[in-house]
Amino acid sequence: MRIVIVGAGEVGFHLARRLSEEGQDVVLIEANPERAVSVSEQLDVLTITGNGASLSVLEEAGTRRARLLLAVTSRDEVNVLACLAASRMDVAFKVARVSNPEFYQKDSVLSREHLGIDLMINPERECAWETFQLLNSEAATDLVRFADGRVQLIGLRVRPGSAVAGTTLVDLDKQLTDRHYVTVAIVRDGVTEIPTGASRIEAGDQLFVLAPSSEMPDIPPLAGYSEFKLRRVMIAGGSEEAVYLARHLGEHGVACTVLDSDRRRCLQLAELLPRALVLHGDATNLELLEMEGVEGIDGYVAFTGSDETNMLSSLLAKTTGARKVISLIHRFEFMRLVTKVGIDAAVSARQSTVNAILRYVRRGNVQSVATLKGILAEALEFDVSENAAATRKPISELHIPKGAVIGAVIRGERVIMPRGRDVLQAGDRAVVFALPDAIGDVERLFE
Amino acid sequence: VSTRHLIHVVSIILLALTAALALTGVVSLAHGEAASLAFAGSTVVCLALGLVGYRRTSLDRDLTIREGYAVVSLSWIAIGVVGALPYLFTGVLTSPAAALFESVSGFTTTGATVFNDIESLPRGILFWRSLTQWIGGMGIIVLGIAILPFLGIGGMQLFRAEVPGPTPERLQPRIAQTAKLLWYVYAGLTVLQIVLLLLAGMSWFDAVNHALATVSTGGFSPRNASIAFYESGVIQYIVILFMYLAALNFTLHYRALLGAPGRYLKDTEWRAFTYILIAATAIVAFSGWRSGLHAGDSAEHLVRDALFQVISIATTTGFVTFDYDRWPAAANLVLLVLMLIGGMAGSTAGGMKVIRVYALVRQSITALKRSLHPRAVVVTRVGTRIIRDDDLLNILAFILLYISLLAAGALVMALLGHDILTSVGASAATIGNVGPGLGDVGAIENYGWMGPVSHLMLVFLMLVGRLEIFTVLLLFHPDLWRGRT
Repeated sequence: MRIVIVGAGEVGFHLARRLSEEGQDVVLIEANPERAVSVSEQLDVLTITGNGASLSVLEEAGTRRARLLLAVTSRDEVNVLACLAASRMDVAFKVARVSNPEFYQKDSVLSREHLGIDLMINPERECAWETFQLLNSEAATDLVRFADGRVQLIGLRVRPGSAVAGTTLVDLDKQLTDRHYVTVAIVRDGVTEIPTGASRIEAGDQLFVLAPSSEMPDIPPLAGYSEFKLRRVMIAGGSEEAVYLARHLGEHGVACTVLDSDRRRCLQLAELLPRALVLHGDATNLELLEMEGVEGIDGYVAFTGSDETNMLSSLLAKTTGARKVISLIHRFEFMRLVTKVGIDAAVSARQSTVNAILRYVRRGNVQSVATLKGILAEALEFDVSENAAATRKPISELHIPKGAVIGAVIRGERVIMPRGRDVLQAGDRAVVFALPDAIGDVERLFE
Repeated sequence: VSTRHLIHVVSIILLALTAALALTGVVSLAHGEAASLAFAGSTVVCLALGLVGYRRTSLDRDLTIREGYAVVSLSWIAIGVVGALPYLFTGVLTSPAAALFESVSGFTTTGATVFNDIESLPRGILFWRSLTQWIGGMGIIVLGIAILPFLGIGGMQLFRAEVPGPTPERLQPRIAQTAKLLWYVYAGLTVLQIVLLLLAGMSWFDAVNHALATVSTGGFSPRNASIAFYESGVIQYIVILFMYLAALNFTLHYRALLGAPGRYLKDTEWRAFTYILIAATAIVAFSGWRSGLHAGDSAEHLVRDALFQVISIATTTGFVTFDYDRWPAAANLVLLVLMLIGGMAGSTAGGMKVIRVYALVRQSITALKRSLHPRAVVVTRVGTRIIRDDDLLNILAFILLYISLLAAGALVMALLGHDILTSVGASAATIGNVGPGLGDVGAIENYGWMGPVSHLMLVFLMLVGRLEIFTVLLLFHPDLWRGRT
């Protein structure tokens, strides 16, 4: 399948890499010649230098033969125009990255439908939404929802002295007979392991647990977290993400303080956010943080434009006594550093965007995909096809590759946490957790 | 500033006033009064002044900002002076200062009168008093902008100088269209009130006069006892309603007529104004009930009396149905505060305007927040609108000047030998364009007993209050007269 990607920024680059690794023919359009050269050296894709909104450039990229166009530059106008042009060139699916919230309003004269765009993504809003989810749980490093929110995957770090530290999964199963959690991965020292019954959980491990949403609140206490209610949040850095997040917090009655080092931006923020307290100051100014009560604050979010500042500021807040600390990370390489240095969670507008687009692109019987931060594994949601290999034998007898685990099955309205003797049926939806090299084998099982 | 331009425009305004004088002459003649001769004389003088001024000068370019301010102030002084002629020509007043006082009190919609026995005056004079209020309510300059196309360019300056409130809203791309719309709403309200008063049993002459004086928040009544003359609750409620409507922002009325009555509820100034009125009525009613003056009255009567006086003073109209001076100090204090605050911006009411007071209250809260969080960046909001520092400084300057002029006026009155209640009351009631004050100029008193110096000083306060201070004070700023423009 030919895929045209407009814009080779962080988002476009990662999309191109993922899709090309999966065997798609990717054409990348980039306006900056130097960036185009450097991308074509790193990836097995065709790069074209030019403006993505230019019709001749789109023609040159062979857009007429493409099934998919992903317009992900940082400029709304270019993205929208590229999608409009692609519609006229009979491209089946058009995805645009659009930050301007006016396009999303219900009665907008330029809504998604009017523009002929199939998926419109606002990276900053996606990121703010994810941060809000993470803030609501003190434990969570990752949170992914499957099957319309009926099943959730939570990533969390085991605290020393907690109930589960030092036990094996088999023992844990015996203790919690009426519970339906499935531990799908254990990350220790940066190595991801898909556990067996004999695997032992240690304090400091990062666990990924799949559970029905109704049982989600029971999980953090087992890993040593006390009850948590989000009341007060401080956001360092007045980026677009911060504005979305502060609005969201305000709507949920959470007191919110926003910090920015640029006085003019502060004024804008004060105008945009009537419910938030806006402070003028540096995100790494400990004196200011302490004066404004960062000690004992429920949530601290570092949302400045610089990854280094975000990490430093988060660490300062964590040491001063903020309960949940989240850092915005722009560069994918830094993602894995975050939990290592003691920051509770990281978010990235770009990764949120890549995730959302990949989820859309991987149609077929894959319903949804979540790339997790800092670890290699992916969580995938499959539809089980008629006559699929997986429906013929009980799960224990299926040749499930080592790096994969079937975490949950949704059958009609019911959520089943499968045991070895259960048999999958056509029409089921299965949530699978897998390392990259196992994904191909897993997909074959469900076809 | 070109004197030629100023005289030209002021002459045009006088020509417009000629029509009003002639109309009053016709009304007087219809009643078969000898006073109609005095109106004929006044009309001739006004026409002559206007024509001479108009023919001898010309306007060869658009007015500059400075000329705009000067034109507005000078026009108001001119119509005040010419409007005093009928009182002198008919002989109902002999003191020129008293006649000027009555005339300016009319045009500025103050409603303070020098007459003791109003009902003995000729009908023509009564109608002239009401008509001056109606003309002054929406403003003669705004009327000029609405009907005289050549005032349209640069008209915003004139418009801003005359419409009460910090920043008048433009309803239409052209200022002349906006001015027209405001006058339509104004005239519509007047006609509606006349009809309702007639239905409630008032005579034609009284209904027209009261409507002209209500919708302009003026307060001149053709009756000695003001609205108290009618013991009908219905009439009092009609007057309450229209005083209230006249003190609301007219652009809100316009939008409500276009089918968005929800605009009232969404407007922050409207909410603040209405809450103030409700709270003030409650305090005054409670205070009145405690005083024992209302023993024997029904609860409805007590509340109606409280509501009427509160609305009348807060909207700066000045009708009375109860001698509020007899109420205890608490009620009088509340009324004094209401006099200072006044009505909404963009209405016909006087006072400092609710929006300015509200903005300063919000600013005080901002200041409190700032001292709790020294590094906080806080903006002051009125509803969803953000008040910029420039606007806040303007509002502060306005309120400072307002209070200073009020205090200075009271001081002069005290120097002339009046007691403190009368001095403060007269000063607040004239600069706020209310009319009746406190003490010797209270609800059932009048301003007739004062000397010419007091009269002239109060004339100044009334003009300053109606044109919102800056416009008049600019006349005394040397920069206005210096240089070519």
